[in-house]
Amino acid sequence: MAVKISTLEERISVPAEGDNPLNTQEYFINMGPQHPATHGVLRLMLKLDGETVREVIPVLGYIHRGIEKIGEHQTYRQFVHLTDRCDYLSAMMNNWAVSLMVEKAMQTQLNDRIEYIRTIMAELERIQSHMLWWGVLGMDLGAFTPFLYGFRDREMITDIFEETIGCRLTMNYIQPGGLMDDIHPNFVKRVKDVIAYAKPKIDEYEELLSGNVIIQERLRNVGTITAEQATSLGVTGPVLRASGVALDLRRVAPYGAYGQVDFEVAVGSVGDCWDRYWVRVEEIRQSFRIIEQLIDNIPAGKTMLSKPAKKIILPEGSHYAQLETARGILGIYAVSDGKSENPVRIHMRSPNYHNVWSVDAMTRNARIGDLVANISSLDIVVPDIDR
Amino acid sequence: MGYIDTKKSTKAKVTTVGNTPINVVIAPRSPSGADSESLLTTIFKSVKSLFVGMKVTIGYLVRPSTVVTQQYPENRETLKMFDRFRGQLRLIKDENNYMNCNGCNFCEIACPNGSIVITDQRNPVNEKLELERFLWRLDSCTFCNACLQACPHDALEWSDGFEAAVYDRRLLVYTLNDYAGPPVKAINRAKKKEDRVEELLATMEPRKQYGGPVPLAGRKMPGVPALETENTKDNASPKHK
Amino acid sequence: MLENLLTHSAFEILTLSDRAAQALAENPWEAAGYTLLALGGTGAFLSLLGMALIYVERKVAAHFQCRLGPMRVGWHGMLQSIADALKLLQKEDIIPEKADKLLFFLAPVFSIIATVLALIIIPMSPSLQVVDLNIGVIFISAVGGFGVLGILLAGWSSNNKWSLLGAMRAGAQFISYEISVTLSLLVITLLAGSLQLSEIVQSQQDGWWIWRGHIVGVVAFFVFIISSTAELNRPPFDLPEAESELTGGFHTEYSGLRFSFFFLAEFINMFIASALGATLFFGGWMPFHIGGFETFNSIMDLIPPGLWFAGKTAFIVFLMMWVRWTFPRLRVDQLMRLEWKFLLPVGFINLFAAATIVLTKLYFFPGQ
Repeated sequence: MAVKISTLEERISVPAEGDNPLNTQEYFINMGPQHPATHGVLRLMLKLDGETVREVIPVLGYIHRGIEKIGEHQTYRQFVHLTDRCDYLSAMMNNWAVSLMVEKAMQTQLNDRIEYIRTIMAELERIQSHMLWWGVLGMDLGAFTPFLYGFRDREMITDIFEETIGCRLTMNYIQPGGLMDDIHPNFVKRVKDVIAYAKPKIDEYEELLSGNVIIQERLRNVGTITAEQATSLGVTGPVLRASGVALDLRRVAPYGAYGQVDFEVAVGSVGDCWDRYWVRVEEIRQSFRIIEQLIDNIPAGKTMLSKPAKKIILPEGSHYAQLETARGILGIYAVSDGKSENPVRIHMRSPNYHNVWSVDAMTRNARIGDLVANISSLDIVVPDIDR
Repeated sequence: MGYIDTKKSTKAKVTTVGNTPINVVIAPRSPSGADSESLLTTIFKSVKSLFVGMKVTIGYLVRPSTVVTQQYPENRETLKMFDRFRGQLRLIKDENNYMNCNGCNFCEIACPNGSIVITDQRNPVNEKLELERFLWRLDSCTFCNACLQACPHDALEWSDGFEAAVYDRRLLVYTLNDYAGPPVKAINRAKKKEDRVEELLATMEPRKQYGGPVPLAGRKMPGVPALETENTKDNASPKHK
Repeated sequence: MLENLLTHSAFEILTLSDRAAQALAENPWEAAGYTLLALGGTGAFLSLLGMALIYVERKVAAHFQCRLGPMRVGWHGMLQSIADALKLLQKEDIIPEKADKLLFFLAPVFSIIATVLALIIIPMSPSLQVVDLNIGVIFISAVGGFGVLGILLAGWSSNNKWSLLGAMRAGAQFISYEISVTLSLLVITLLAGSLQLSEIVQSQQDGWWIWRGHIVGVVAFFVFIISSTAELNRPPFDLPEAESELTGGFHTEYSGLRFSFFFLAEFINMFIASALGATLFFGGWMPFHIGGFETFNSIMDLIPPGLWFAGKTAFIVFLMMWVRWTFPRLRVDQLMRLEWKFLLPVGFINLFAAATIVLTKLYFFPGQ
């Protein structure tokens, strides 16, 4: 298939006006890189006709730090801490993806304790990520109060991280061969407290935002992408599931302790913003379910199986592992020459990078307000797009 | 149109991906077909939903006990960080101020971005390599904890000081060791053998927290006045020890 | 003059302009004093009330959101608004290079002038009113339209596409919702039989219109409160500003003193809308009366009229803040749909119902 490649300059050239004086002119406007709705430094070129969005062109690269290139000069252990800085809201899951890749390549068998703690931590991370997203969605749609509520409840979970790990956001906790540190003695109690505290809060979220008719009007039948469109765009995570494709790696290809727990995959039926919204809120509930099943049965065992001083040298060839972060499938691909501690090439298949391209398909012929809702419902973390 | 009842999700089993059946729960939609509601019901439910939302917010307004924010820095005295909090790196010292670090460089190797620079010297008394200067750059540190993991001598720890802001970037380059000289192990060994202990202790040279202007990224800084090393205490001394 | 002000009886209406007119024949200096008092009083009231409202809004918002809000400047941050005002005054005055300089300068002035003009006819208590026009209700609608001119000019002159979008939204929104506001004002005009605000207040001597006009009054109040919130560009109708969509809308390019004009105008307009709502539907400074219950009425009269007015206005202001900090924003087409497909028909039906009620004297205490 021939792909037509055009530069940004070509795409934003405005066609000459016709003879009809009633013809209105389409115009281009920069949304970002500094714009409150683009969650960081994403730049969107909008082709507008009045309030109507005709085309959205994402322009990337404003927070490109070359993490993959830096990774070629670091050991696998060191690379883990860089993945924190990609999708900082699923930092733990990014760590896990690298560890999973290394462990798969080295054929390390982990004990149940490590798997359980990893799963609990990842689910806590997913909850806090979705809580933050919930607040930010409220703020994007003009309701500032949910933002503070989302943050308030998320702080409870970051407190858990801080107690066990010492950091709140970029944690570098899950490492090849195990965990950086054992869980804190208070961990189990604190997690149970948070579950008891946060579960009623989710119902409150429903009262405040989900049940609100304005939110429903703003989200329903806005930014619809069908399952076909979603799969062909490579969209993953809640965005894909909202379109009705029940692809959740936690279920389809279980890793960690996900094979031993019972939970339901939240899916949508239409693929609009409302489905994406509801899928994430339901995922918070399901994550609580997963944690509840695991938290009481953490088995005993070592938490680090590889010695920090021992070099990790992967076998020659290419290695790949993927898992489900809060935003979709994160894949880590590494090529090793079998001699060096550093990978020859390391690549991340990041969920946000693939999700962001669906914004054009969602937003054509919608309003600017819908565009904001779409970006918000995609739950983009821009550093993960550019890496 | 139609108000979505958020509690009306449906459960189902699908086998679309792979062969394993997956339990799914499907998002609620606005009622349609046989379930569709009259316009009046929709309006009633919609207006009611607005009042339900307002009830939630007023609930917080009338209960000042729900305020969660802290008044920093007024609460400085009572503010306690978690014991594993990664504040600032420091060397573990015993009661005589002797450090565990012997300058073995493991942390420097483990550090992903060169935030730790260690220089060694050979002690004239016991002829062993020992720490001369342990430079830690807070400005480039990512607090990944790799140094602590790599350390074979239990020489490093995190303080709970989080007030690291300073007015001069050069103040973010810390010299962690108080003295250049033998670690506690070497001193103890010498004491045990009673072998030139006084001479060994005499080789210890004091080191300041800030060692004067430090070139940033390997460059000199023309026109930048030399760093005040005497009264730097007020700039960056962590409050929480 | 001071003696005259203090010894005035409680329920006799005497506006500052009336006093000035009375005094003109005898003592021109006293007339000039009254004029100065009106001008200075309005100016001082404008800025003080603006700052107080900003403080209250911040505190209320904070407690809705489990925060404390301003706590540092003064006791519980009471002086925060003054500190902010001083900061805004000191800010660099930035005019975009390609802006239309004259209009850019005029826009905030228009905005604040409309606010001042509307403020002067609000009857805050029998003797605390600057002018009492016999076309008060029409005057309010007219000067309200002047305010949106400031917003439109700001959007146009900034030479910024986001600002222009915001200004166009403001224009469309204002024109649409002005109809509903006027329709609900007309209901009260029909019931009271006057356009003069002081007479509307006095017509509520037997009870406030919101309950004397029962269904019609309540519907008119809700239409009024929704559409005046929309006119004020306050959430959930803050589309002209819509910071997450338009990065600030019409005042994107404004900073410092000019921005503070818009900001002040917005908050004073909120006060004016609330005061108008209180005057028309809750009897303004008129105490809570029930026609025929003279003992009850005289007990109610013990509370000074100024306090009644302040309390009622504060209630509506709080209602607006409550709505603001709870609801998300509507989309631009939903905003239009709400007005043209819902509020406008409701307003018209309500107006006809009001006319029927007035003709058949179905409202409470029609005789007196």
